[in-house]
Amino acid sequence: MTARLAFEHVTHGFGATPVLDDIGFALEPGRFTAVIGPSGCGKSTLLQMATGLLKPGRGQVLRDGAPVRGVQDIGLVPQQALLFPWKTLAENVGLKLALQGVARAERDRRVAGMLAEVGLAGFGGHYPRQLSGGMQKRGAIARTLIYRPDLILMDEPFGALDAQTRMVMQRDLQALVSRTGTAVLLVTHDITEAVLLADEVVVLSRRPARVLTRHQVDLPRPRDPFEPFRNPGFDAAYAAIWSAFRSEVA
Amino acid sequence: MTRLLLRLLPGVVLLALWQYASGRWVRPIYVSRPTDVAARLYEMFATHEIQPHLWVTFQELVLGYALGVGAGILCGYALGRAPRAAMILEPYLMAFYGVPKIALAPLFIIWFGIAIWSKVALAGTMVFFLVFYSVYAGVRAVDRDMVDLARVMGATQGQLTRHVYLPAASPAVLLGMRMAIPYSVIGVIAGEFTSSTRGLGLFINNASATYDPAGVFAGIALLLVFVLVAGALAGLLERRLLRWRPPLAGEPREG
Repeated sequence: MTARLAFEHVTHGFGATPVLDDIGFALEPGRFTAVIGPSGCGKSTLLQMATGLLKPGRGQVLRDGAPVRGVQDIGLVPQQALLFPWKTLAENVGLKLALQGVARAERDRRVAGMLAEVGLAGFGGHYPRQLSGGMQKRGAIARTLIYRPDLILMDEPFGALDAQTRMVMQRDLQALVSRTGTAVLLVTHDITEAVLLADEVVVLSRRPARVLTRHQVDLPRPRDPFEPFRNPGFDAAYAAIWSAFRSEVA
Repeated sequence: MTRLLLRLLPGVVLLALWQYASGRWVRPIYVSRPTDVAARLYEMFATHEIQPHLWVTFQELVLGYALGVGAGILCGYALGRAPRAAMILEPYLMAFYGVPKIALAPLFIIWFGIAIWSKVALAGTMVFFLVFYSVYAGVRAVDRDMVDLARVMGATQGQLTRHVYLPAASPAVLLGMRMAIPYSVIGVIAGEFTSSTRGLGLFINNASATYDPAGVFAGIALLLVFVLVAGALAGLLERRLLRWRPPLAGEPREG
């Protein structure tokens, strides 16, 4: 099977600072991959390369088997919610559909359905500034999920959320992804989140980032984000990743 | 309602003070007085003396403003999106911006004739630079992450313009449009002062040459009406287009 997205020997630096050192891993369709690494190790740089906004210094990024050239049409949930402040929540969530020329009535219907799914029913007419940080974040996720891209990149999507909202969103994301079957690349620095959501966890070292280990997480789904350590097999997976990761943190 | 009354208050006080001072502290031949100005205004409308002047100036203002704003938005947007061209052209634009446009008035008369087009050109030039600079700065200040996000969502260049650049730059565009209103008046009046056959500027010039202070103030009052109406329209446009913007420190709280 051709990988949705593959990094092959990707090496990159900014000026004299090496950032990525021979990174290689791949995302199969329908699989959830988490990349964890110490902060500032170049995780976001990897995502930029996947979008085609940044070209790797050496090595290549493949999308469905073909080298990435130019900006990709890809699902992206940035670190900040980055809702367009001049659009209402409904206009933000429906933006991709509008860009694709989907008719108004159809768009409204799908936006309303999506907003209900992320618990934002009734807020469609609000501007982003009128929403809390957590609501904006959910809006940003809804904006991506609504058009069911076959590949979604998420840059610490739940980082700024309070603990309860985060757990609820982790549960919902898990459900949405298993339903739509897209491939997801999730960048995070939270091992619990990585083990909870991912089929595979890629652990990166400090800068310049190398792949320390790739760990398959074969826990049954759905996994419970509210009491993560009660998921059967969670401890072992967490321990395996932590043992690879700890040398980079301390 | 209270807002309107509060706003009228300083104007009423000023007019009362003017009325009182005229003839007591200052000779009326210098400053006229509000009642005389009102009478003069009535008279010049009743005799149809002012209407041709008004119509000409109105045309010049609207055309000069519209052309200046249109060209300013187009050029500001184009250069804002083309950093390389901007890098090359910036010093030239800065130099042209610094030219006192009023000094161009005689030249424009030679180029465009004594009728409305020389005034349209002068007002348009003044408006253009103001709008151009605010649009240019506004487009360059657009958050790159938002542009990147829209590109990753598959937006075409036209869609980027419509969904990201223009709305993001709209506060700057509207600010430029608002600031340009008085400049269009200055441009038109300066042009009419220089040489014209009709227009409020000519009327004011004649009134002052014939020791008719009431006529001068009446002409100025009509210009003020232009500015106030245009400003109110711009405010309306701002409220409509900038609803999304968070309230600013300088705005009263919504109650």
